[in-house]
Amino acid sequence: MTEEKWEPKVVAFVCNWCTYTGADLAGTSRLKYPANMKMIRVMCSGGIDPVFIIKAFERGADGVLISGCHPGDCHYNAGNFHARRRWTMFHQLLEYLGIDKNRLQFSWVSASEGKKFVDVVSKVVNDVRELGPFKGYKELNSEFTAVVNGLKQEVNKAEAVNG
Amino acid sequence: MKIGVFICHCGENIGRTVDCPRVSKAAEWFPGVVHSVDYKYMCSDPGQNMIKDAIREKGLDAIVVGSCSPHMHEKTFRKAALDAGINPFLCEMANLREHVSWVHDDIEEATQKAIDLTRMAVEKVKRNQPLATIKVPVTKRTLVIGGGIAGIQAALDVANAGYEVVLVEKEPSIGGHMSQLSETFPTLDCSQCILTPRMVEVYQHPKIKLMTYSEVEKVEGFIGNFHVTIRQKARHIDASKCTGCGLCITKCPIRKKAFNSFEEGMAYRPAVYVPFPQAVPNIPVIDETVCTYYKNGKCGVCVKVCGREAIMFDQQDKLVTEEIGAIIMATGYKLYDISKKPDDSFIKGYGEYGYGKYKDVIDGLQFERIASASGPTSGEFKRPSDGKEPKKVVFIQCVGSRDDSKGFSYCSKICCMYTAKHAMLYKHKVHDGEAYVFYMDIRSGGKMYEEFVRRAIEEDGVKYVRGRVSKVYEQNGKYIVKGEDTIAGMPVEIEADMVVLATAMIAQENASTLAQTVGIPYDKYGFFNEAHPKLRPIESTTGGIFLAGACQSPKDIPESVAMASAAAAKTMVLFGSDMLEREPVVARVNELLCGGCFYCRKVCPYSAIEVREIKDRNGVVIKEVAYVNDGLCQGCGTCTATCPSKSVELMGFTNEQIFAQIAAL
Amino acid sequence: MDELRNHVKEMLANGTVAAVIGYKEAGSPMRTKPVIITAPEEAILLVFNEYCLNNLAVYLTKARVKNLARVNGTIKKLGIVAKPCDVHAVIALIQESQLKREDVYIISFNCNGVVKDYGETLTGETIASKCLHCDARQPLYHDKVFGELKDLPASPDEELAKIKSFDDMTSQERFEYFKNEFDKCIKCYACRAACPMCYCTQCITDKTIPRWVESSAHGRGNFSWNLIRAFHLSARCVGCGECERACPMDIPLSLINRKMLEVAKNDFAYLSGRNLETPTLVGSFDVKDKEEFIL
Repeated sequence: MTEEKWEPKVVAFVCNWCTYTGADLAGTSRLKYPANMKMIRVMCSGGIDPVFIIKAFERGADGVLISGCHPGDCHYNAGNFHARRRWTMFHQLLEYLGIDKNRLQFSWVSASEGKKFVDVVSKVVNDVRELGPFKGYKELNSEFTAVVNGLKQEVNKAEAVNG
Repeated sequence: MKIGVFICHCGENIGRTVDCPRVSKAAEWFPGVVHSVDYKYMCSDPGQNMIKDAIREKGLDAIVVGSCSPHMHEKTFRKAALDAGINPFLCEMANLREHVSWVHDDIEEATQKAIDLTRMAVEKVKRNQPLATIKVPVTKRTLVIGGGIAGIQAALDVANAGYEVVLVEKEPSIGGHMSQLSETFPTLDCSQCILTPRMVEVYQHPKIKLMTYSEVEKVEGFIGNFHVTIRQKARHIDASKCTGCGLCITKCPIRKKAFNSFEEGMAYRPAVYVPFPQAVPNIPVIDETVCTYYKNGKCGVCVKVCGREAIMFDQQDKLVTEEIGAIIMATGYKLYDISKKPDDSFIKGYGEYGYGKYKDVIDGLQFERIASASGPTSGEFKRPSDGKEPKKVVFIQCVGSRDDSKGFSYCSKICCMYTAKHAMLYKHKVHDGEAYVFYMDIRSGGKMYEEFVRRAIEEDGVKYVRGRVSKVYEQNGKYIVKGEDTIAGMPVEIEADMVVLATAMIAQENASTLAQTVGIPYDKYGFFNEAHPKLRPIESTTGGIFLAGACQSPKDIPESVAMASAAAAKTMVLFGSDMLEREPVVARVNELLCGGCFYCRKVCPYSAIEVREIKDRNGVVIKEVAYVNDGLCQGCGTCTATCPSKSVELMGFTNEQIFAQIAAL
Repeated sequence: MDELRNHVKEMLANGTVAAVIGYKEAGSPMRTKPVIITAPEEAILLVFNEYCLNNLAVYLTKARVKNLARVNGTIKKLGIVAKPCDVHAVIALIQESQLKREDVYIISFNCNGVVKDYGETLTGETIASKCLHCDARQPLYHDKVFGELKDLPASPDEELAKIKSFDDMTSQERFEYFKNEFDKCIKCYACRAACPMCYCTQCITDKTIPRWVESSAHGRGNFSWNLIRAFHLSARCVGCGECERACPMDIPLSLINRKMLEVAKNDFAYLSGRNLETPTLVGSFDVKDKEEFIL
């Protein structure tokens, strides 16, 4: 992957009730945001394990967004409060270990905040674009990536042959 | 596993920015996909039939539909899957409309993203497990806790629908605070007159089991299947024999040892008493703490006069268990007793108003009793200290409400209205009297409410002063009320004969203890929490437990009644079927791996996690593990993220599924 | 020392405790190792001094040790000799339902510090860094306590200074630093074995379906493992430093643990294992918890 062609890859873990629905609203309102972000839906932000974030970085994400209901609005009452404590600890740990705080961002987006969703996604994608590819994490395992790239080429070849 | 992928154009909605045929072509190459097509409208009948036919003809095990948001059509496609004979939970959706075509312009980018989302959904569905809806049997009996107007209304509604009700009231009679009120705003109709028929109806209803002088001691089980233990306190009267003639009450020699709490302490009651003449049931209670018999074994006048031999001095408390399907909490409120400062609390009290020190500084409920025709003054305005008619009365609003520094930050909501009513009632009876109201804002939202307040001001000449009162003190037999008129920007001093404080409505005593017993959350003031402030205001977060009336937050009578009927309707929804069906998105514990740290139990918002003991052959407990109660779990997954050893999984959103999605990015 | 031995002897003889986990001399008076005493006459082996480095609470959750307390179908108390800081671990284990308070008999000491390493005389130079910021030299919970408090040799808290110095580094520099440190990891899991709070039946890193942590000792697997280990101990770690002492590759695990202790202290005023009455940080929340990092 060359520098010019690089596009930030952002993963979002969002709760089913607020942010996912807020993103739906952004769609119904025809608001536009960068296509770099892909969402994974969980039931509640309280159910987002920090390991998901690590996994996303391992799998080549350049940035991660975590989003749930505003405090007090949680469909399950308290899931996001527990999540908030977990994140307070986790984001400081990551930052301490040298992962830029803009690589992992958090937000509260309610089901009615389609506009806020768009703003948040645009901000995160821009922040990550400024930071550039997450070389640090990607290069933790150069041999491994080489193997994966090799496999990808094989797959591409197969696709080309089979049409 | 054979997976089918179905890409929807949604007319032009998706097709305009996503190259659907390319997505479906790309999906053919995803490992596991054996069938991939695109079609104009997947949700239409022909579209659904396409899916069904493909499932049958190609023997698909799972499907992915790339179309709109799962919030829109997940149910539709799951049903199609079910119709074609595969488990509905082996259907996943990729959101290509709300999350792709509608939010992106570039066809290349959008198509690429659509391919990615479809791949993620395929990877997820591969790891889906067939799930079966959870069925829980329902006991069609309702427990109503609290016999005030909310409890009465809820009990009547449920009973009239044909379901059995157990109504538990801690006092000797039902009726609650409403039975104490003189007249009610905004119509000024007599409270007793409209309430008493309801109370009698409860008493006579064949479907209602009325348990007065009783308290809920223990609640076990879950929605549809509660086991409730109720303590029936000893009345020392055999209810089956008593006719309610009242002879014991009139003959009891203990006349002035106990305050009458129904009269808010402004009268005495005998040792054997009914709270008020219209009590339901009309069966007295003997107060052990003042009765002479319990002091020295003598007296026994009541025994002699009772023709039915109904007096039972040796009666004991009785524990009764009831099988219950739904619980309605209707425990109501109490008034903030500002003379006392609760020792462990953030509330500071209002010593400067002299409540508890000056007899003529009274609270709203005491005023109701004075104004009531059946009250201690028979409805004549006489002040408590010397029985004289007060010529100048000052009403102070927001005593304890809307006061972060000394009381509670919330608004008690009904005080504006009842203070206007009080002032009006006073002016109606004491024509030459003057009534002053100190207020912060007048909050009179409600049908005919604002008009009512205007009437007090304009027709009855009640003088409203906007401002707070700093001090009330006694001088030459008058109460000097020092305050401020913030509109005039001047200090005000009024020589009053009586002062009425609109004290805050607060949660019942021991509301939080009861909430813990029943297993529902409550706020820092002790009011019970609703499941969702907007969309689920009647339900508590615990399944099968509903809220009615002022136990949830300050409310007036029509609101309490409306909420009670809503709660009754909710229980009827629950009783509509014999088995309770729910989405199988619940947590599951791997007992083999569970280390028993019970962090899951601490974070579970629904107390759905229980402790299960694992025993060896000899019955010795080897370890304790977590166990999820399907009836209570709502499937948020907070436990799964908290579990350090990942021994609990959320069905339908397992970690394996999510990892697969991440890997497919 | 005799007091300790006599007390343990008595407790074992009268059946109050089924066994006592303690320290015994190991080859030199300036070195100790753990010992489990089950017979009164063995109590003579016990020692307590500044060389009692191990946190013995780690044994309390081991099935074989727990079985010692199971006598004829009833559960007896397990005795443990614990430094006041080790008592925190016992408390934390009770809070996490791994123990019942009534099942453990805590014998503790008013603590005058321990050395960094065996064989050194206790001075300001050689004192363990955790002793420099110790807030509980007297045990918070105990069933029996011995010893008198003496002044602790003073020394600057270099660990905290080091953590603070990271603030001046760019995230890239920090990443490089930790990457290089974690690169040394050989995935021996000694840190996990030594940790009293790592009692899971199956560790997340041993799970294969799905694979949570890449188990190979390569760059990414190492980074993930150390990150997840640190996170799982956030707000649970009692700061005993056993993981770092156990690490054969000298990875500065305490730097990470200590940082997370500081986070819990600064953001939530929480210290783990101090109070049986207060709820644990994980598993509780306050509506007013800070959230300025959330958009």
